[in-house]
Amino acid sequence: MDFSIRAANVEDCKDIARMIMELAEYEKVTEHVKVTQRDLEQDGFSKNPFFQGIIAEVPEQHKSSEGHVKIGYALYFYAYSSWSGRASYMEDLYVMPEFRGKGIGKALMSKVAQLSLAAGCKQLNFTVLNWNKSSLDFYISQGCFDVTEKMGYHCMRCEEEALQNLAQP
Amino acid sequence: MLELAVFEKMPDQVKISHEELESSGFCENPLFGCLVAEVPEEHKSKEGFTVVGYGLYFYTYSTWRGRALHLEDLYVMPEFRGRGIGKSMLSKVAEVAKKMQCARLQLSVLNWNTPSRDFYAAKGAQDLTAAEGWHLIRFDGQSLDNLANDAPKD
Repeated sequence: MDFSIRAANVEDCKDIARMIMELAEYEKVTEHVKVTQRDLEQDGFSKNPFFQGIIAEVPEQHKSSEGHVKIGYALYFYAYSSWSGRASYMEDLYVMPEFRGKGIGKALMSKVAQLSLAAGCKQLNFTVLNWNKSSLDFYISQGCFDVTEKMGYHCMRCEEEALQNLAQP
Repeated sequence: MLELAVFEKMPDQVKISHEELESSGFCENPLFGCLVAEVPEEHKSKEGFTVVGYGLYFYTYSTWRGRALHLEDLYVMPEFRGRGIGKSMLSKVAEVAKKMQCARLQLSVLNWNTPSRDFYAAKGAQDLTAAEGWHLIRFDGQSLDNLANDAPKD
């Protein structure tokens, strides 16, 4: 199937917001999604964006059953490793179910890797749920390694009340 | 940073120089923010240092909650621990997160580092790896080059 991979622009935010919800449904966490289309427009397309986006698009004749031509996305941002310098973190990678198995996910991820390397990044990092076997297998087959398994790092988070309390002087 | 890497038993992993820190952190679009903890001259360390701790962070993004902050390093020299310096720096970073309207403060901790895990748990941090099964995955070196080479040509 013919598809194209390109950098996202502000007009893509409506479809990115749609696909974020689809991904949240897959990860069984829709009630956690608070980001809106407007947030994406402001946070991703201002002078100092918080993230970068990549879109996968198909021609009109291959549009989805609901009429969408933007059928996948990757969202990433630049991080910093105090050991190796600039790094990239891929927050989301998603392809609509009816377009899977055609190399689109791989193409999106490769584009993130290419752009990250061009920006001087030494690592591309992301997280995966340990029960998501098909995703884990896919990533391992592409040559990455599980930092949590190998080095023992645990991901920690403070939010809401805990974050408020922490910010008290 | 080297002291922290030695503590984490990975001193050979440190590849960047202080020149790189200068150019990455103090340019027009800095890649990170950093706090330092300083003591007066009369309380300097055995080796004569007055900068005795640091916290290095950068902004991230959650497609669920929006802006977030990642605390990459938090370190206090051993002889200055137990005085609330780490807690102060962590609070200061949380204050920065709040000012920038970040919904989350995230970090990673080694599973054997019980004092740090206890410290963060006491401050209300959740362990997402233990609680929800999140694993950090990485491409670097050759695997990153190989992945990038497979990108569709424009």
